Parts: sequence; C-alpha cells; structure tokens
Amino acid sequence: MADITVGKRQVRPDFTAHVPGVRRGNHEGHYKRQPGHLPYGRSTSRRSTGVHPKTKNPILPGMPNLSPA
Amino acid sequence: MATVQNTDAERRELTEVAFDPITRIIGNLGIYTKIDFAAREVVECRSTSSLFRGYSVFMKGKDPRDAHFITSRICGICGDNHATCSLYAQQMAYGVKPPPLADWIINLGEAAEFMFDHTIFQDNMVFVDFCERMVKETNPGVLERAERTPAPHADVHGHKTIADIMRAFNPFEGQTYKEALQMSRLTREMCCLMEGRHVHPSTLYPGGVGTVATPQVFTDYLVRLTRCLDFVKRAVAMNDDVFDFWYEALPGYEEVGRRRTLLACWGCFQDPEVVDYDYRTMNTWGNAMFVTPGIIVDNELVTTDLVDINLGMRILLGSSYYQDWTGEETYVDRDPLGNPVDQRHPWNQTTVPKPQKRDLDGGNYSWVMSPRWFDKRTGDHLALDTGGGPIARLWATALAGKVRTPYVRSTGHSVEIDLPQTPNSPEVRLEWTPPPFPNTIERDRARMYFVAYAAGMALYFVERALDEVRAGRTKVFEDFKVPKEAIGVGFHEAVRGVLSHHLVIRDRKIANYHPYPPTPWNASPRDSYGTPGPYEDAVQGLQIFEENGREDFKGIDIMRTVRSFDPCLPCGVHMYLGDGRTLTQSHSPTFGHRA
Repeated sequence: MADITVGKRQVRPDFTAHVPGVRRGNHEGHYKRQPGHLPYGRSTSRRSTGVHPKTKNPILPGMPNLSPA
Repeated sequence: MATVQNTDAERRELTEVAFDPITRIIGNLGIYTKIDFAAREVVECRSTSSLFRGYSVFMKGKDPRDAHFITSRICGICGDNHATCSLYAQQMAYGVKPPPLADWIINLGEAAEFMFDHTIFQDNMVFVDFCERMVKETNPGVLERAERTPAPHADVHGHKTIADIMRAFNPFEGQTYKEALQMSRLTREMCCLMEGRHVHPSTLYPGGVGTVATPQVFTDYLVRLTRCLDFVKRAVAMNDDVFDFWYEALPGYEEVGRRRTLLACWGCFQDPEVVDYDYRTMNTWGNAMFVTPGIIVDNELVTTDLVDINLGMRILLGSSYYQDWTGEETYVDRDPLGNPVDQRHPWNQTTVPKPQKRDLDGGNYSWVMSPRWFDKRTGDHLALDTGGGPIARLWATALAGKVRTPYVRSTGHSVEIDLPQTPNSPEVRLEWTPPPFPNTIERDRARMYFVAYAAGMALYFVERALDEVRAGRTKVFEDFKVPKEAIGVGFHEAVRGVLSHHLVIRDRKIANYHPYPPTPWNASPRDSYGTPGPYEDAVQGLQIFEENGREDFKGIDIMRTVRSFDPCLPCGVHMYLGDGRTLTQSHSPTFGHRA
C-alpha cells in the first residue's frame, strides 16, 4: 500500500452489504414467493394490487394479462 | 509568462498558456500549452488532473451486489452507464442472465441517457464555443461572413443564415440553447421511466430490473421520444450547416484537433436473444450488440472481438502519481478461455496512490493513468481515444456492418438512420459516413448523429419491449447466488466513450474492482513509452485560427478541440485530504443495525 497516512476506519468495508434479518432479494427460489408472478415469466394482476385482484384480470383466458402498474 | 527556448531546427519564442481548470466540463482538467504565436501554432501540450477518487481502493472488501449502486456515483451525468456496466460485470460473475424484457428496459434507459447527455453537452456546452457572442470575440471575420451565408437546410430548422443559427446557440437566450434544456428534461423523464431515477438508477439490479413493465410505462416513454424526434431532426441539420460552413469559412480548419485514427468503442445495447453474459461466448454476444464494439486503427477495423479487446488492455504509468503494481498480487492469471492475462491488465491492477508535486517538465503531472491497448500485430501500446464517444461508436458500427434494425442499419461503410414522421416534421433518412480522419469538427458532428441513432434504436426497443408485454412475458428479474469466487467484466459505452468494469470476487466479497471509463483513455498523460495521451496529441501541432493576438488570446481552437472529446474528469481518476483532516462518518441502516 502507498505510504500515505490515513485515519483508522470506523466501519467495515462490507458494513452496508447485509443487515441480518432482512431477506436478500436475489435468493434463489425467491421468484416463486412473489405474489402474482407465475412460472414461465408470466404475471397476473395480483402483481399490481392485493385489492380484489381477480376482478382486474382479463375476462377471457386467451387475452393477455396486462396488469396495471 | 513568456519563455524562450530552443527547438531542434530553429529558435522559437514560446509562450506558456495554461487553461486550468477547463470550464463547461465536470471535474478538474488542466491543459498546459506552449504556443508559438509568431507561427500561430501550439507546440507542446500537457493534460493534467488534480483529482483523486479512489473507487478501486475503497471498493475492496465490499459486497459485490452493492457495486452498481456505489460505482454509479463515479459520475453525476453518466452514472447510469456505470451502473449498467457494473451489472454486466456482476451478471458475468454470478452467472445469471436477466429475462429479455429486463434487457430491453435497460437498453431503453440507456438510449434515453445518450439522447439526454449528448444534447445537453452539444447544445449547452460545445456550441457556446460556436455561438455568435463567442465568434464575435474570437473570429469577427467569420461572423461577418456567416451573416451573408444562407443556411442550406433553412427549410428544416427555420434559420435563414448561419449567423442566425449561431445566435440560436447563444447561452441563456438563444432558441436552441433553451430548447435543448427542455429536451434534456424530456429525455431524463424517459430514463426515469425505465431506470427509476436519473442519474443514479434505483431500479437496476444484477439479474434484472425492478421496473414494473406495463403498456403504460412504454407508451409514456414513446410519447416523450416522439416529441424529441422533431428536435433531433432539426438539430442534425443545424449541426451540418454550421460545421460545413466552418470548413468553408476557415480553410485548413480540418487540421484542428486532427489525430491519427485510433478509435475505441466497447459496444452497447445488448441483444437479449443472444446475450448470456458468459465470458466464453463474449465474442458472439458482443457482435450482436446494437452498437458494435470495435477498434479502428488508421481507418481500418482491427477487431470486434470483446475477448481480444479485453486481453489487449494495459494500464501504464509514466506520468501519473502512482506506484507501480507489478510486484503486487496477481488476481487473474488466465481468463475463462485459458488466455494469459497481463499484470498490467485491470483485473490485476492494484492502485497505489503516491501524491506528489506536479512536474510538467519530464516528471509526473496527473492523477490520470495511461490506459493503452496492446496491438499484438505490431507490438505497439496504442493510445486509443473515444473521440467523445459518438464518432467511435458510429465508425465501428459502420465498418462492422452487423446492425440491422428497421430504423438503424449499418451498411459496411456508413450508418443509415430512418426517423419516422412526427407532429412537426416529415420522415427523414440520415446517413453518417466516416470522415477521412477524426478532427474537432467531425467529433462534434458525430454527436448529434448519434442522438438520432439512439432515438432510432429506442423506437425499436420500445416495439420489442411491448411485444414481450403483449405476449404476457412480464418477468423482469432472475434469482441468483453470489459465488464464493468469480471474475467478471462488463463492457458498455458511457456517453463519452468506452466503459469497462473489471471485477474479482473472493470469499463473496470484492477482491479487486477497476472501472475504466472513457476519460482516462482520452485525458491520459504521457505513458512509460513517452506516448502522449489523446488530448495532448490532438492539441500539439494545432494551428491557431483565432484572430486575437497574444494579448487577448482566448485559446478558442484549443478549447474546441479539448471539448470535442467531451471531457469529464470525475471518472478520469480513481479523496485525499492531506494531513490532519478527519471526515465524520455516520450510518443509518433502514431496518436498524442488527435488527
């Protein structure tokens, strides 16, 4: 390392990384626990809302499910 | 301060002229020149930076999943480019491929960033050097001629004479200057729709995006894009008129900022159908990018292979305030294909800062290192430049002949851009052809053509993204595990040129991380072989066209040349507070520490 005088560090470099008790968003298998997200990359209106989501789904099964944001 | 010194053949009176800091750019760039006013020539140039950031130092030991959020802060204007590049490097390291819709969303965000940044830089910063007020002070003869010269594309942009266009460039009051600010608002909104926030995206993650893909979000984007297209069409016509006039009014101006063609482009806009973020197939998916990566030496495309590009990278010292790292640890001795990796490659770099006094006479004078590309054909370490970004991107794409989309096509010798009819303008076809050699004017001209290129690509990306949504494929993220040990590299284009992030993970933490943005390539000082960096090279030998003499010299030709590279120094160097200053540090985790 360079011959520069630096102060004593106050935190570990990876301090920001992970707070115990908080779920990691990238966990494998996490996707299937996301409400409204179906296998094969599809989704239903439950993705957008928890309030009467079924009434926001398409009226026919062949129609694309374009859920509101 | 005037000094007298000998040169090889004759006695010349050289005046030292320093521009430090250069204004209308971000960061601390100083250009130190020696000018022979009798011969109207810049004889010597040194490019310096007095800023040290240390990203490669403090990234060590951090969680790699934080890398894109932290490195985004490298820049206040192209931070999303850094975030995206970091994602590419992380995805390679984690072995995760995002769903196609996520890549389309990132492409859309990045296209908006290119449109935003190039427009604001060109019309609000570069054109101040070409505006009526500036030209009145530096070249009154040119302004007088501009008043008499009709604008060839007056029917497109509505300005009758070249001087009218130059008046539109006047800062704070000119029509184009003000319009460009409105455009930058629209294009930033477009970026925010896709990436959550500009310029430090909040919805980009390794493995995908957090943007909720609905038809609404894409149509909101498209509405804004359509409004921008009217402006883009006018802007390209105005650019062409002004730059063509410049050649006509000042014969010989093509030599200003001329440099040997040594251009680099690392490619951008991934094709989700091809890319798998695996190093071993990097050549295949690199060549499928919607801006083709490539290195152009003497007007010839040397390679489009990202593996070749990666392995040829060398970080040299020579005039920089660092200690050499050849005796330090080797992190990667072979790449995943078994090719040897040099100790001077970013994967193996250890940043060892050594602050010292600036010495412009044969000593060290900059915090910027000297990135070079090793040409294995000749054994040369080439001082590649990006030409501010667009010229290299368009040139590599034009020669490679690989991009085929409805709106943008590469012909093998040029790039064709079709922009559809919009409320205030008919459809247009633009064609960019590589100039005989890169110079100040051509670097600037390419910029607005690339805005049109990005707009054309954005139209295509919206269509493809909407296809995905309409087919019901709305998945935008993929789960992954952080491996114990891995390496990764991301190749992308920051707005002003090449961008690479090299990542080494050990024990699930960052062992080494080196971002190489465009400005270290462009603003590099003389390397250990004595090769000057691109700014220095372009300014040295520059003929002065300014009408002012030594007393009221503005250095406008030098400034135009340096600004043609779109200098942006915060990314140029990787805080030194001197003795005795302490920073107070606090941390407030959202959920409480050890909650």
